[in-house]
Amino acid sequence: MKTSPAPASVYRAAEGLGLWEHRGKVAAVGVGHSPTFRRWDGTPANSVGGISLEALRRAIDDAGVDPADIDGLVMDPSTTTGAFWPKGKPLPWEAINAYNRTDDPLDGITGLSAEWILANMPQLNRIEFTTYGVGCMSNAICVAAQAIGNGRAHTCLVLKSWHNLEGRYYQGGANAGNAIPGSSAIRSLWGTPACFGTAVQFAEYCRKYGKSHDMMAPFIENSRKNGLKFPEGYWAQHRPEEITPEDYEAARWIAKPANLFDNDMPIMVSAAYLFTTAERARHLKQKPVYILNHATSRTRPRSLTPTLDEVEEDTARTARKIYEGAGITADDLSFENMYDGFALFHQFHIEGLGYRGLKFGEALDFYQTDISISGPNPVSPSGGNIGCGRSRFWMHTDCIQQLQHRAGARQVTGVKPEIAVSGGPMPVGGNYMVWSATPD
Amino acid sequence: MERYAGLRRTILISFDIDGTLEEGDPPGILAIDFVREAQKDGFVVGSCSDRPISAQRAMWERHGIEVDFAVSKHMLAEVKSQFSADVYYHIGDREDLDKRVAEQAGFAFLWPHEALAKPWHKASFRR
Ligand SMILES: [Mg+2]
Repeated sequence: MKTSPAPASVYRAAEGLGLWEHRGKVAAVGVGHSPTFRRWDGTPANSVGGISLEALRRAIDDAGVDPADIDGLVMDPSTTTGAFWPKGKPLPWEAINAYNRTDDPLDGITGLSAEWILANMPQLNRIEFTTYGVGCMSNAICVAAQAIGNGRAHTCLVLKSWHNLEGRYYQGGANAGNAIPGSSAIRSLWGTPACFGTAVQFAEYCRKYGKSHDMMAPFIENSRKNGLKFPEGYWAQHRPEEITPEDYEAARWIAKPANLFDNDMPIMVSAAYLFTTAERARHLKQKPVYILNHATSRTRPRSLTPTLDEVEEDTARTARKIYEGAGITADDLSFENMYDGFALFHQFHIEGLGYRGLKFGEALDFYQTDISISGPNPVSPSGGNIGCGRSRFWMHTDCIQQLQHRAGARQVTGVKPEIAVSGGPMPVGGNYMVWSATPD
Repeated sequence: MERYAGLRRTILISFDIDGTLEEGDPPGILAIDFVREAQKDGFVVGSCSDRPISAQRAMWERHGIEVDFAVSKHMLAEVKSQFSADVYYHIGDREDLDKRVAEQAGFAFLWPHEALAKPWHKASFRR
């Protein structure tokens, strides 16, 4: 039977659910990342399937578990938001045939099924539970955490991979057509770059609170600095370039007031985590990082893109869900790793959380203070997508590594890493989680 | 200063990086030596790229080339107002981000392969 997306019932999307029933009973014990590339080079090993196998192998090794003990796989079958195989372009048969294939020849090239993974990792011969958390690692983490809590699996791989092809992002697929099926024509913004909605919200934010775009510069500079300390990241591996405030202010507009460096860069990368029960985690190689809660926002805006009011209402609601299920308050957060791809919505996430007492409209002033990994108020210590390339998962890896004291040069030193929050992608619509160095 | 066909003309060349220079990501067909030689011949040279300006400067520094300018993609018009030349070229690999931008700023545009075919690129005209 083909793997299906997780049912809506596994997500904690409502307020008032109380403490998460599996709080502290699920732990992350292994992390594996593939190398990164700007685009696929056409070789089988660097295809999205190939790099996913590499990430999975590394996560299993990192955790020190026997593959025969793994009984679950939660992953995202989509591996892009904007790089599609062009219509009519010959299929890459050499790469396709280098692996055991499924019915879809582009499985492992521009998408990834659980069936493809299992067909190519014979050592995973005890997996009985597979399901999809679609869109992001954040989604897959919620699904895997709940699955382990519910007893659907005891040792579960969580996988998210991204491919990127030659040519321009967002120019193929539906965007290349003259017509669009169903009701998409009235549900989607037409003719705008992807960051347009966020740019509109940010413009309104600046107007409402009297802020300006250049106040984002310290955030961008800090994010890239942190990213360059993330050896798994694209910029650290390939182009160790900082972004100075002068660079940032000289960048061209993509959708004013969103400029080039407010956008993240698509890359090829895969990450896998190994989750297990708190009980099993105690006997494994790495220090367990416990999940205190997962929460979801499924809020639908009234129109095509959420207004600032809707954003603020929803980030506050998400924060209440996050804290309620984890049994913590904002004061308990050692640091935050909310999503940043687009940079201009990071402040919505952290103001909603009330990180370090922030209220709406205060984050850009907060960015002018010490937000580095060595200060008392670390902001995005992972560097996020701005610091490492588009993956939507650096934030989770960083939370795990920080709480395990394995973040290397990126290790936070101004705070004791005990409890952290990560998640995204959007301030309105996403999945979030709370990580802890201890189960209670 | 360019010398050929009995003329002396000052030529300014703006180089895109990614997809244009061999150093780019993806690599283009123009070697860094193309830039080095042009500068030796008296051309005004620099880069106009989406890379951070500090990263552009660091790249030129790594190659020991002291460029006359390093700017973002939308700043070509400023380059034109800063340097007096008889001809302004921008060499790049994108219709929208190079050709259109160059033409809007009053630059002549060259694809990388067209730059390689230019007489001023040929050694016989340089020496
Ligand atoms: Mg280019």
